[in-house]
Amino acid sequence: MVLVANTSRLFAHWRTRAGIQALALALLLGLCATPAAPLQSGAQEAEERANHGLELAQRGDLVGAEGELRQAAKLTPNNPEILGSLGTILAMQKKLEASATVFKQTLKLRPDDLEIRRYLAATLWQLHRFSEAKANLEVLLRQKPDDRQGRLLMGMVAENTRDYATAAKMLSSVPEEVRQRPESMAALARAYYHLGDEEKARGMLAQLSGAQPMLLGAAIADEMHDYRTAETMLESLRSQAPGDVNLEFRLALVQYHAGKVDDAKEILHAAIGAGPATSQMYNLLGWCSYKRGDSKEAVQAFNRAIELAPQEETNYFDLTNMLAANSSFPAALAAIRKATTALPKSPGLFEMRGSIEQKVGQFRDAEESYSRALRLDPKRPGSMIGLAESQFSAGSAKESIATFENALRRFPKDAQVRVSYGAVLLKQAETGDPRAQQRAEQMFRAALALAPDSAAAHYQVGKLVLEKGSVSEAIQQLEKAVNLNPNSAEARFSLARAYRRAGKSNEANREMDIYQKLKSEPRDANPPLQPMSEPRSH
Amino acid sequence: MCNSPTAAKPRLFLIALLLFAFTPVLAQHPAVPSAPPEIFTDVTQQAGITWKQFSGESPDRFLIETMGGGVGFLDFDGDGLLDIFFVNGGETPHGKSSVPVRNALYRNLGNGRFEDVAGRAGVDRIDFYGMGVAAADYDNDGQSDLFITGYPACALFHNNGNGTFTDVSAKAGVKNEGRWAASAAWFDYDRDGYLDLVVTNYAQFSFDNPKKCEVNGVRSYCEQVAYGGMPLTLYHNNRDGTFTDVSKGSGLAKLVGRALGVVAIDVNDDGWPDLFIARDASPNLLLMNQKNGTFEDAGVDAEVAYTADGAAKAGMGVDAGDISGDGIPDFILTNFNDQYHSLFFGSKTFPYLDRTVASHLAAMSKPFVGWGVKFLDYDNDGNLDVVLVNGHINEVIESTRGDVKYREPPLLLHNDGHGILENVRERAGPTFDANFVARALATGDFDNDGDTDIVFTTLDGPPHLLRNNARERNAWIGLKLQGTKSNRDAIGSKITVISSKARLVRWITGGSSYLSSHDPRVLVGLGQLPAGAEIAVEIHWPSGHIQKLSGIKPNRYIPIVEVP
Repeated sequence: MVLVANTSRLFAHWRTRAGIQALALALLLGLCATPAAPLQSGAQEAEERANHGLELAQRGDLVGAEGELRQAAKLTPNNPEILGSLGTILAMQKKLEASATVFKQTLKLRPDDLEIRRYLAATLWQLHRFSEAKANLEVLLRQKPDDRQGRLLMGMVAENTRDYATAAKMLSSVPEEVRQRPESMAALARAYYHLGDEEKARGMLAQLSGAQPMLLGAAIADEMHDYRTAETMLESLRSQAPGDVNLEFRLALVQYHAGKVDDAKEILHAAIGAGPATSQMYNLLGWCSYKRGDSKEAVQAFNRAIELAPQEETNYFDLTNMLAANSSFPAALAAIRKATTALPKSPGLFEMRGSIEQKVGQFRDAEESYSRALRLDPKRPGSMIGLAESQFSAGSAKESIATFENALRRFPKDAQVRVSYGAVLLKQAETGDPRAQQRAEQMFRAALALAPDSAAAHYQVGKLVLEKGSVSEAIQQLEKAVNLNPNSAEARFSLARAYRRAGKSNEANREMDIYQKLKSEPRDANPPLQPMSEPRSH
Repeated sequence: MCNSPTAAKPRLFLIALLLFAFTPVLAQHPAVPSAPPEIFTDVTQQAGITWKQFSGESPDRFLIETMGGGVGFLDFDGDGLLDIFFVNGGETPHGKSSVPVRNALYRNLGNGRFEDVAGRAGVDRIDFYGMGVAAADYDNDGQSDLFITGYPACALFHNNGNGTFTDVSAKAGVKNEGRWAASAAWFDYDRDGYLDLVVTNYAQFSFDNPKKCEVNGVRSYCEQVAYGGMPLTLYHNNRDGTFTDVSKGSGLAKLVGRALGVVAIDVNDDGWPDLFIARDASPNLLLMNQKNGTFEDAGVDAEVAYTADGAAKAGMGVDAGDISGDGIPDFILTNFNDQYHSLFFGSKTFPYLDRTVASHLAAMSKPFVGWGVKFLDYDNDGNLDVVLVNGHINEVIESTRGDVKYREPPLLLHNDGHGILENVRERAGPTFDANFVARALATGDFDNDGDTDIVFTTLDGPPHLLRNNARERNAWIGLKLQGTKSNRDAIGSKITVISSKARLVRWITGGSSYLSSHDPRVLVGLGQLPAGAEIAVEIHWPSGHIQKLSGIKPNRYIPIVEVP
């Protein structure tokens, strides 16, 4: 008990401001009800070391404390109290993986120790190992359904895993605990939004006070498209801190999301004029200009954002994406080359460079860029796919197939690898390899098995079976493709063709009209290379 | 006994007899060399053709620099021998020529030699950048006239019948001003007996506005999508030497895209000529004649407009003919590298069948950028084969690809009778083993020996006249049709040739290939026929009249005049 009591005081001293960590540590701090198990006899030294460790921790020497507790644990490896304290000290040093391991060891010795289980759940939650956290909390709450801290933590875990019903149920059952923690209030608000209960969500957000909590609340409202609430919260803060550039940026961001692009621009211009401007502001200004069709101003803004934060990848991505979406491929290529020079260790930028080079037909250069991306990060399926496609386009079919086979081994559960491989196999089939078509179909169907929601896989299967004459299956597959990705011009086209062959001319004409519309937006442009990245909430 | 003088006499006699017996055999073919092994022989030099195309290549990299070089076979002087007209390009703001840029009109002298008479004829100079040619007798006076396309105008030269031409562009009203015109086709869309004119217009373009594109820092030609498309032009022949622009009323003006190739043919056998328009990164058009002066596009229904992915290929050249042997027109188009040249089998109902892959055309054409293309029965076996020419537009392609080259070989593809094509490069002749930046291609029997010859142009280079060496290994029949109620050139006629072996359908089309004009006669290969075999011919004239002839002996050209 002495040990645990000392630990509790220690945790109170080490409470931090960071939202998630604060909550986790608060949970750990709250766990002081269960009496500690008596120290095993004959482990006098172990107890002395353990107590000394706690004293060191109280003085701020966490490293020393860890050392002492590790020695204590060595002397008495089956002492759950010592292990529990060690786990806590590790967590306070943010050595979360080690902390989780030690807590698990503790639970092996004392599986009914609900405190330790709660500690473990909190640590796992911080590690984003939500399913494990949830499993431990389920055990805890089965045995102690009214464990408030456990319910609070379960609510947070549920919110993280998008189980909003459970999140709302759990968090609303511990209102006092939730009110003490803005992060919990925000989580409950988000859960209410997702459940369609905007009134309750707003009610929760209205209880937030203080700059940081209100900023968090405004971000939640913005994220959930409740722009009016977000604006109101930010305006309220603005009245208390006029000229705060971060606030100005956040308000402009909400305006942008709300479609009030001109208002957003006005705020940004004013804030930039008042200074000091930030990279984020110029990034957002770039997006505003893009939305207004002013590419020149957009490029200037993004370039300025880059100047202010040359190590920030986002700005390079956004500029390149925007130029590519406008079919300004030479400019996009120049931008991404500049980016990879500035950030030569960014696999994402090299991957994007490869995609632009692919787009303009510079396949050999694309091969090099994708290869570089993979050297920097071998776990990028997009780079591997890009490399294989570029190899094929450059005329190196054998290398392409080898790369795809490698990709299948490296990313066995990635549906897109199969879809892209299948597409290349189809091209091979067209130039004289009849078995390749069969293999392509196998790839597409395997992709569907892995990802039934893959619009690309449905499209490819649909197109293939249509050519083979199975019109009704083709319609089925292609309808799924357009439902999953309504903006796929090629899927719309193929569906129109399938309908036409089935004699459904009205449906065919409808799809062709949509296809024509999609092809004409933007003017003469190919679709963006990757989903346009929207300005992020900072 | 053997050594006696008496015995020597019979031996001598025997030797003499043997010599005498062999001599007639030798005498039968004293001057005929053994047939060369190749199918086509390049006879450009022997023919005396020295003209070269001038593109006006410049640092500005105007796209037009890489697109020109039209050629046409025509018998301008009516002597029964095909002459050749070459359209030159022109100067660009920074691409100047040290000598005047001239077209050439090579008069066929009849002995395998040609003489350039363009200057005398008055067709050597035009005041615009030249692209293509369409030759036909638009006023039915028995002389083949010339329509030359280009930027920013076109020109119509009337054949005066005395070896000269007169520029009647302004009077005729066919200048197509301000536009970049590519291929053109003569056809009688309203069946009034006078040839009308359709012109493909390519892209919104100006020498004042060079578009800047580059590959790895090297200035290059921009992709076609950097240029907006243009509408088609249709001129109605007023029968008095003038034309009326009916583009709007006909529905053609609303079809905006980058059009390059055109062939006029009756697609649905209703007696009215339709149009297939090959377009570059714009959907191809299958314009069905509505019989009332208007056309409706059925390209999407026919599934010839786009690929299966909804992409529009880079259609450059197009031809129509019955390659499948079912009596219905089929279509072949040339496209860009990686797109494959396309082969569509026509049918009585839509959609048409895309045979690009199944015919092996895809495999054979993948790395090539194709231009001029024609169906021809090069060996007269009765099956239509294919000849096409290739050549990239950007030299820098070789820095970005391992398998695509700037200079590319032409392709001669043999049809097995079922629409399966085979590249016969090994027997085709050295030209098909060489690489060119080729553009237009025209076909015709310039030496009247019953087999189809070829001429193609190259960018900033000489043309190549290829003589077909098939001669009379297989039977053939050549028909020179003359309309009376129909247009005199009989463009739009459907001809069925019936032999003991087969029933073959051919058409006299308007346009076809790329920037080119072709022998107005129809040469039909008949394969091996028994000695003494006769054939029958059925002609569906453009006027609607059907004429049947029988008892025709093969291996000759015969004139057929429309008897209403």
